[in-house]
Amino acid sequence: MKKLTTLIIFLSFVSLGHCQLIENLRVGLEVNAAWYNDDKNTGPFFDSDNQDSDKHLRANSYLKLDYDFLKNFTATVQLESYEPLALLNYSPNFDGTNLGIYSLNYRNKKLEATVGHFYEQFGSGLILRSWEDRQLGVNNALLGGRVNYSILGELSITALYGKQRVGFKTSDGEIFGANIEYDLSKSLGFSESSISLGLSYVGRKQVIDVMNPKYNKLTNSFSGRLDYSKNSFYAGLEYVYKSEDAAVLAGQLINQFVNPGSALLINTGFSKKGFGLDATFRRLENMAFFSDREKAGNIYLENNVNFTPALTKQHDYLLTNIFVYQAQSQVVFADPQLTEVGEIGGQVDMYYNIRKDTPLGGKYGTKLAVNASYWSGLKGNYDFNNLSYDVDYLGFGEKYFSDISLEVRKKWSSKLNTIFYYVNQYYNQRAIEDNFSGEQIQTNILALESMHRLGSKGKSLRLVAQKLWSNSDNHDWIGGVVEYNFNTKFSIYANDIYNSGDDADTTETHYYNFGGSYTKGASRFSLNYGRQRAGLVCVGGVCRFVPEATGLSASFLYSF
Amino acid sequence: MRTFFTLCLLFISLCVKAQDIPEVTVKNLAGDDISTSEFKNSKDIKVISFWATWCVPCINELDAISEIYQDWQDETNVEVIAISTDDARTRRRVKPLINGKDWEFKIYVDENQDLKRALNINILPYVIIVKDGKIIHTRTGYTPGSEEELFEIVKQHTD
Repeated sequence: MKKLTTLIIFLSFVSLGHCQLIENLRVGLEVNAAWYNDDKNTGPFFDSDNQDSDKHLRANSYLKLDYDFLKNFTATVQLESYEPLALLNYSPNFDGTNLGIYSLNYRNKKLEATVGHFYEQFGSGLILRSWEDRQLGVNNALLGGRVNYSILGELSITALYGKQRVGFKTSDGEIFGANIEYDLSKSLGFSESSISLGLSYVGRKQVIDVMNPKYNKLTNSFSGRLDYSKNSFYAGLEYVYKSEDAAVLAGQLINQFVNPGSALLINTGFSKKGFGLDATFRRLENMAFFSDREKAGNIYLENNVNFTPALTKQHDYLLTNIFVYQAQSQVVFADPQLTEVGEIGGQVDMYYNIRKDTPLGGKYGTKLAVNASYWSGLKGNYDFNNLSYDVDYLGFGEKYFSDISLEVRKKWSSKLNTIFYYVNQYYNQRAIEDNFSGEQIQTNILALESMHRLGSKGKSLRLVAQKLWSNSDNHDWIGGVVEYNFNTKFSIYANDIYNSGDDADTTETHYYNFGGSYTKGASRFSLNYGRQRAGLVCVGGVCRFVPEATGLSASFLYSF
Repeated sequence: MRTFFTLCLLFISLCVKAQDIPEVTVKNLAGDDISTSEFKNSKDIKVISFWATWCVPCINELDAISEIYQDWQDETNVEVIAISTDDARTRRRVKPLINGKDWEFKIYVDENQDLKRALNINILPYVIIVKDGKIIHTRTGYTPGSEEELFEIVKQHTD
């Protein structure tokens, strides 16, 4: 198969031959390789996902080609290679070299139709989202067909069918979907305000192989959305109902534990020049939705039908990403003292620009960003022995997480910019990680960043100092980053974080990284050596746990 | 496998030419669909920056451009478009953030990353310069001073 695919692709390249054809071709190449070594401090190299300790050199490569032809058509293929095995922490289903994605798309002003793989999202994804993130090892594209038709830019209708991509295979479960987006503003004769309505259906059908099932093979979910905006004010509402389905506890389908699920998302905000305010409330109950039921809660984020990211601020500093909240959408009955069926909470964001030439604004102005979030479990009665629960709709139960952060960005001169960043967090390790011996951790984190421009040709220096204090004897971290840009193309950096607390996994270990990168246009090559801390890798709102590893990694990106 | 990629790359790089911007639908902040074909309809040069609210270098870049944007527009007819690739987790932060920061750019949202994927964008920030619907320059990553390079390219292509 491997050789065959390679040959086909190569021949098609040769036959293209002429550069004129290439003009309609878009190409993206990404290669991420690593050589993992044994580490004196943290132990020898071992890949627990593949039970392998020999294959130190790994590479994930992606070659994506999009070819536009006959005015309305686009053909897409994505060739993927995980040789000899995928990088650490990727699902073992990413194995060998093969075509990962292939599709043919037709598009005119009103109609769009796709056969093959496609990515889709209904509403904010609470009911359906298929997407790709290579860093997280997520690709749950649907393989099947999709049609979208829009009328006068007011009404848009989508229908789709497919099986989800899982590694190079597909899910057992089938997904059916339909979506309507309707812009009511014109029909209602609104000119200054906008109002739109969305309705979705998503069904998941999977054969049941238990005797006397108490649930249906087809699970139906429905979603309704309403969005309104006028001048500087906006508000939105999204509700999802998911029909009765069996719970999955520790990877096991429980036939006598069957419940419906629901999600409610309310968002509102106000913003004008120099000021922005946004508030979100969300409640999730039993909203784990997977194309194959028994994959619920799998660590590789495979078979996810919907998208329920943590609604907290995504911080960007090393020490602000040690205790990261993950949305608790799933039913967990691990122990009479550890029962969860969802989460409730919200967040508020505020942005403010202190004008220049004011006492606090200074010569260039000062930019402030504040975020606060609070999440807890659903309040109610949980009957562990009889596998049942009865929760309040708006009751706040056990606290899971809170986070308050302040960012101050200040430009002092044409040569110097600084960022002040402060975070206060509460992290309920027991509930978030379903870890019986987990602690209630409270932290204060401070990060100070400065950027210095040295000369005109893009020469610059970036420094970051960070400190994490906590109420736990286990966590007392310090960290720093130095980055030097020789010009706008060539950069080097080094960073290190260190825990002087007692945490058995991380105590007195330097998690350091150093490396460099060279960028030219859309091509980028980077080289890095370091020790990766066990923890969550988060990209765009989704996190995945990765174990500790030490090694040399190289990455090459190229696109045009 | 490696030889294969090398061959592909060699072959392709011999044929690199200015690409048309692919036709994909993004949304404006009011939620209306905007086709990227609209970017082709103007003679003016467009600097299109792909960013996200959680991407610190992206914010640094747009802040830096924002400060000199008035000068850019005085000298040329360049238009800066910032396309947010924020997904459901952070999309709602886009509107307050751009207002809070006083950015004067045109803002679009590519929520399920259709345009990002069509352009094979792997990391942010990612900037393309478009003239007459053709992509005449691309750049990935931001270091202080890159915005000046961008403006040099804009000036070179201004008639």
